[in-house]
Amino acid sequence: MDHAQDYVIEMLHITKEFPGIIANDDITLQLRRGEIHALLGENGAGKSTLMSVLFGLYQPEKGEIRKDGKTVKINNPNDATALHIGMVHQHFKLIEVFTVLDNIILGAEDTKLGFVQRKEARKKVEEISKRYGLAVDLDAKVEDITVGMQQRVEILKMLYRDNEVLIFDEPTAVLTPQEIVELMHIMKGLAKEGKSILFISHKLNEIMEVSDRVSVLRKGKYIGTVNTAETSAPELSRMMVGHDVQLVVDKTPAQPGEIVLNVENMHVPSRLYKHDAVKGVSFTVRKGEIVCIAGIDGNGQTELVFGLSGLEKCSQGKIELCGVDITHAPIRRRSEAGISHIPEDRHKHGLVLDFTLEQNFVLQSFQEPRFQHMGFIKFGDIRKYAERLIEEYDVRSGQGPVTKARSMSGGNQQKAIVAREIDRDLPLMLAVQPTRGLDVGAIENIHKQIVAQRDAGKAVLLVSLELDEVMNLSDRILVMYEGEIVGELDPKQTTVEELGLYMAGAKRQNAKKEALA
Amino acid sequence: MNKASFLDKEATRSVLASLLAILIGMLVGSIVIVIVGLTNPSLGIKGAWEGIRLVVGGLFATGRNTAGKLTFGFNPTSFGNMLFRAVPLIMTGLSVALGNKVGLFNIGASGQYLAGTAGSLYVALTLPTSVFPAWLVWLIAFLFGMLCGALWGAIPGLLKAFLNINEVLACIMTNWIAANVVTWFFDVSNLKNMLEGTKSGYVYKTSTVLNDVVIEGVRSTVGAAVPEGATVTATRGGVATAKMGLDKLFSGSQVNAGILVAILIAIVIYILLSKTTLGYQMKACGANRYAARYAGIRDKRNIVLTMAIAGALSAAGGALYFLSGNTEFFWNTYQSLPAEGFNGIPVALLAINNPLGVMFAAMFMSMLQICGQKLTELTAYNEYITNVIIAVIVYLAAFMLVIKTWIAKLRKGKAVSR
Repeated sequence: MDHAQDYVIEMLHITKEFPGIIANDDITLQLRRGEIHALLGENGAGKSTLMSVLFGLYQPEKGEIRKDGKTVKINNPNDATALHIGMVHQHFKLIEVFTVLDNIILGAEDTKLGFVQRKEARKKVEEISKRYGLAVDLDAKVEDITVGMQQRVEILKMLYRDNEVLIFDEPTAVLTPQEIVELMHIMKGLAKEGKSILFISHKLNEIMEVSDRVSVLRKGKYIGTVNTAETSAPELSRMMVGHDVQLVVDKTPAQPGEIVLNVENMHVPSRLYKHDAVKGVSFTVRKGEIVCIAGIDGNGQTELVFGLSGLEKCSQGKIELCGVDITHAPIRRRSEAGISHIPEDRHKHGLVLDFTLEQNFVLQSFQEPRFQHMGFIKFGDIRKYAERLIEEYDVRSGQGPVTKARSMSGGNQQKAIVAREIDRDLPLMLAVQPTRGLDVGAIENIHKQIVAQRDAGKAVLLVSLELDEVMNLSDRILVMYEGEIVGELDPKQTTVEELGLYMAGAKRQNAKKEALA
Repeated sequence: MNKASFLDKEATRSVLASLLAILIGMLVGSIVIVIVGLTNPSLGIKGAWEGIRLVVGGLFATGRNTAGKLTFGFNPTSFGNMLFRAVPLIMTGLSVALGNKVGLFNIGASGQYLAGTAGSLYVALTLPTSVFPAWLVWLIAFLFGMLCGALWGAIPGLLKAFLNINEVLACIMTNWIAANVVTWFFDVSNLKNMLEGTKSGYVYKTSTVLNDVVIEGVRSTVGAAVPEGATVTATRGGVATAKMGLDKLFSGSQVNAGILVAILIAIVIYILLSKTTLGYQMKACGANRYAARYAGIRDKRNIVLTMAIAGALSAAGGALYFLSGNTEFFWNTYQSLPAEGFNGIPVALLAINNPLGVMFAAMFMSMLQICGQKLTELTAYNEYITNVIIAVIVYLAAFMLVIKTWIAKLRKGKAVSR
């Protein structure tokens, strides 16, 4: 049936390599004219890389791209635009202080003697906006309009340039539920008018609702393409995460003791948007257990950790650590009260990159009497401490304690942070994506350390985006979706598929939610 | 240690970069001198050669001999004046360097310098030395000046920490506010120089002898006739920085113990930054504010504290300069800001923000000033040629950082390919 199909875009056997990783490994994607084609995959599956190849941001090592059956070479986004391929990025590319109209025509202005012909442009934009039902205020400044409307501006930008292939990179990540419904409506309308849409997402229910076909990627490999009408959310979930579990963590059953962390109805504001990123979350973590917050990136996990560590103020709710209310305590007090924290972003929060390794080892503890006397640093003691940590946790570096953190490898930087946090020997450990970007050996090492912490009677709150890590390491899983905990699962009794459904918002434990409310 | 690893050291590279900047600055200055010399018939190539010798070795110039040739040797007056003029530069240099270490660009040293000047002069000219010993008045004046500077510096610090207002903007604003407030303050004050009443305009200075006497609550000149029945209620003045024998060592110069105080403060700042937990915190905030916050370091407090200390340092420069007993402060500062504040920036740049390096960089800058003076004194050249040299050095010092990282990358690239 292939020869009968009218493909507008064909990406054939695309391979794109980055140093040390194959982001796209022989991927073939065929987009029919007038269809909505979803591209599904976990974080790091290679979805965005593939779309960047199509948009001309990356050049593939192997494979070819065909437009309307003709082989084309897309060297940069300008080539893509000339081929009428447009993209709405996850983070909008708009100029905040310009009006909507100016943003739409920017880069494609009609000029006469160097003057922008706004009148004609306005007429054209108004026509398009009427035809596709994209209501916007052309004279409003972008900074004054809602995120949903900004997205409509981005769509109008593509249509103004007569694009016929529209790429949406996780378009719903920033929208409210109402705006999502509206976007789905718009997308269907665009497809009806003959536009072809590529829709990147990992939210299964949206894909089920809007798409005609789904292609699934996993770890850079092409898994398959299915017709949406002939599949189900669980099947897609299985295709997305796969069965192969790479790492098995050796651990005994948990023996949870008394409550260390008790969170009640916590709300944390979002830095980017006006709504709360964490909306009324309640849970406990006990001694001797690893509780994992699972979820797709951007569902409030980062803000949840910020709320717990004190990097962000909670707008509502209560946090108790070992029975002490720390809701309003500053970061240092929380740290002293018993929270160690392996941060999500090791370069931004975890390390002072221009400091030496030994200086980084005492980032929190430099004020303790063991490292200072009357405000003067005990350099000898810090050196000895650093040497011990390097030895015990196998942190490798060029010049030992005096190595600049910047010059160390990512894995060893992470090991240094883990060493520092574990060695502080505090009752609660927040571990946020502790193995991100590390190789298998380093991952195994850090997993062992975390289990050892649990067995030593520490409470561990793990935040992870890796399903393997979630399933293997945790004793209890809390799934976060759009700022709420939508399910509590036992890793021994659940499956990756079920977990995937919760993470994608296709399933939630309603009873649990009512009980909390 | 082999040669390569010596060159790989960060400190070595930095010092080399600074020295290179100075060398090229001198070279460009020399070229300017030659060009000016050749276009000026009264100078010629002979005059140009003299100019170059003076720019490089003006500190050691002792004048001309009977044959009209330039003579060189140890010149105690030049040396002493070099040290004296280095004092405010050391202090403002430290102020800027400290800010840079914490990631704050303190361009407000001028305003803080003025605040320190006004605060210290006010105390020195107001507290009666008939009640307090002069050394105590000096000490109070010095500390009060620093306090004024600290408060003045804290303003941009507070604005930065709590309202996220760029410190450069706030510093420039506070500079001009200080310039006008200080002018107004002296305008309405009763602190005019009574000692040298012949001088026009409002000039304020302390003196090794008494400044004024107060007769029945009325301020009068020293030696004024005391009306019958009236009594001298207080005498004021005589507050001046101790010489501590330095005037004998460098005879004919203005040098006093201020240079020792400045060196002491530089050492204290060095210790603060490299040996104490406070310095550790401040540097952590400067190097990565987010990581500092993550670790529970109060970044906002550190920003305010840094700006306050920086302000106190600049203010100490003003206090040490004007409490000397032989320097005059002109009241109408509202038209121009003291150059010492801005000169702190190249000093810090040249010293790569090292407090000990600041001492040498400041002395080098004041040496260039002396060279400029000698140039004017002994030749037909204008002293502003030394400003050309300073300007070139500043440009290069900024540029050297680029070259330094470039060299570092080159060496790293080599190491990787090996």
